[in-house]
Amino acid sequence: MRVLLAEDDLDTIEFIETYLADLDHVVSSVGTGEQALQLACSSPWDVIILDRMLPELDGLTLLKTLRGRGVTTPVLMLTALGRIEDRVDGLDAGADDYLVKPFAPAELVSRVQALGRRYVQGGIATRLHAGPLEIDLITRTVHRDARIILLQPREFRLLEVLMRQAGEYVTRTMLLEQVWDFHFDPQTKIIETHMSRLRAKLNEGGLPDLIETTRGAGYRIRAA
Amino acid sequence: MKFGRRSAANRIALWGWLAFAAATLLLGMAVYFATHVAFSRQIDARIEQATTALMIEYRDDGVRGVQSALDQQGRTRPIGLGTALFDARGTRIAGNLAIPLAQPGWRNIVFTDPGEGREKARAQVTALPGNYRLVVAADLESLEAIDHTILAMFGSTVLALLLLGLAGALLLARYLSRRLEGIETTASAIIGGDLKQRAIVGTAGDEFDRVAHSLNAMLDRIAGLIANLRQVTADLAHDLRTPLSHLRNHLERMRGGQAQPAASGSIDEAVEQADNVLALFNAILRIAEVEEGNLRRAFTAVDLSELVSELGETLVLLAEDEQRTLHVAVGSGITVHGDRELIAQALTNLVENALRHTPPGSVIALQARYDDGGALVTVDDNGPGIPEADRERVQQRFVRLETSRSAAGHGLGLSLVRAIAQAHGATFSLSDARPGLRAEIRFPKRISA
Repeated sequence: MRVLLAEDDLDTIEFIETYLADLDHVVSSVGTGEQALQLACSSPWDVIILDRMLPELDGLTLLKTLRGRGVTTPVLMLTALGRIEDRVDGLDAGADDYLVKPFAPAELVSRVQALGRRYVQGGIATRLHAGPLEIDLITRTVHRDARIILLQPREFRLLEVLMRQAGEYVTRTMLLEQVWDFHFDPQTKIIETHMSRLRAKLNEGGLPDLIETTRGAGYRIRAA
Repeated sequence: MKFGRRSAANRIALWGWLAFAAATLLLGMAVYFATHVAFSRQIDARIEQATTALMIEYRDDGVRGVQSALDQQGRTRPIGLGTALFDARGTRIAGNLAIPLAQPGWRNIVFTDPGEGREKARAQVTALPGNYRLVVAADLESLEAIDHTILAMFGSTVLALLLLGLAGALLLARYLSRRLEGIETTASAIIGGDLKQRAIVGTAGDEFDRVAHSLNAMLDRIAGLIANLRQVTADLAHDLRTPLSHLRNHLERMRGGQAQPAASGSIDEAVEQADNVLALFNAILRIAEVEEGNLRRAFTAVDLSELVSELGETLVLLAEDEQRTLHVAVGSGITVHGDRELIAQALTNLVENALRHTPPGSVIALQARYDDGGALVTVDDNGPGIPEADRERVQQRFVRLETSRSAAGHGLGLSLVRAIAQAHGATFSLSDARPGLRAEIRFPKRISA
């Protein structure tokens, strides 16, 4: 993926470049809002990572300008401000996702990949596939091979989020946000609780587990 | 206005009134006696003067002289004075005074007035040689009239003064109470957690205004200190987050590298600990944000029924995995004005708290309903509960009861719940569920339906 990084903090730039380069993404960094605006409009990007506080042109204004010019590239906004209203302001301005500094690398990587994928997929898929799994978003049915699997709404939503990102990790935080709409850490095992039920239903009859858990990274459903 | 024995204002007013009444009474008595004595002396002087005049007659002409003087006086005697001369046998031989014979000296006697019957009089009885006795007496009617007048005057004045005094005392008590009530109301609000309340300072600049002013200054100072403490805590959490997360990320990178298996376990442990501290810092910052109270502008109508049911579905499973039973009961159509996510966080914290502090097998109930015009959410458990003395304390930051020290958690859960409740104008309280603990969030009454 081609990623545009608009950030003025050198440590953060190095950090992000290192992790994204590890995954073979190409990162171009700019240090001011004006430069970011120029580059964002002049060439195509898969994802823009935008710091909220940039010299010359702040992130919020820049984003509004971009969206005003019809640039629909997914934007991940970075900020040191973790307040509820800050997040709302960021999303209102047209950000697709929002990450508060400091963040874990896995969090950044998963979110950037999710944004890139969303963009690539383009139109609205009504069916998702991952290995032997297939889910229909319209009829809300799940099949493993030919067998139908009955899921509770929350379990379905959990599986859907994993399958939209099939092959890539989805972090706990992303699951809380996308499945439960929680933008806070409830400090409980609600994900584990639901994940174990989902697994039990998917693997019924002693089938191999399709969901991987990796410490610090999150959950991943195998793409094939 | 509270009018009981416990009111200092009433006591002051009552004592003031009593002192005033006593002073008035004392003054009245003094005037009465002074007047009485002065008039009595005047009467005695008149009697003495008359006696002296008659004694001169006696010296000049003997008994006969006195007799003729008395006879003359019988025609022209001064008003209010009566005289009588008795011979040795006790027979009245001159004078107009119809009295029995009395011993020499000053006497209070009763005479018979031909027109008005028996009346009191003051008399000087003088012994004359030959066992004659001269009596000069003054009618006490005038003195009695003066006494009566003074008594009547003072009686009515005292009564009027007492009534006025009582009215004054009541007004004073009311005034004092009212002035103190303002200060008391403010203090109660502060105790209730509303640190923004201030006493109203009047324009008079009197003692009450000065007390209110001092109180406000003190409150400002306290609020400043609290704000400072919070700011320091929040700043600390904020500033430590970055280095800590760098540390964490470095550790994680080590884990990704070729670390030895033995080291890998320690690294995992270290990352987890770092994550716990970061979670703690985030919780501190979250509380600080909620307590600042700038969230209200983002408040909307929240369908509490839907939120609690939805949350309940998730939490029921969580409880099941922790070997506890969670019952959810939600009334329909309950809405509150607020932030959906914060309310969700508060309720999650309360249920999580119940899960954490009850033994396996416990039953927890999450309920939402309308009560007395406002939405009420309760979380009850049948666990060991919290002693009454500790219920307020556990809502403070970092406070965990000794018995639960070993359990996970950073002691911020209930502080956050309280902060969230306050941000919504709701009250958060802990009480006895008999057995167990009841946590409740009571939202303000809806102003319009």
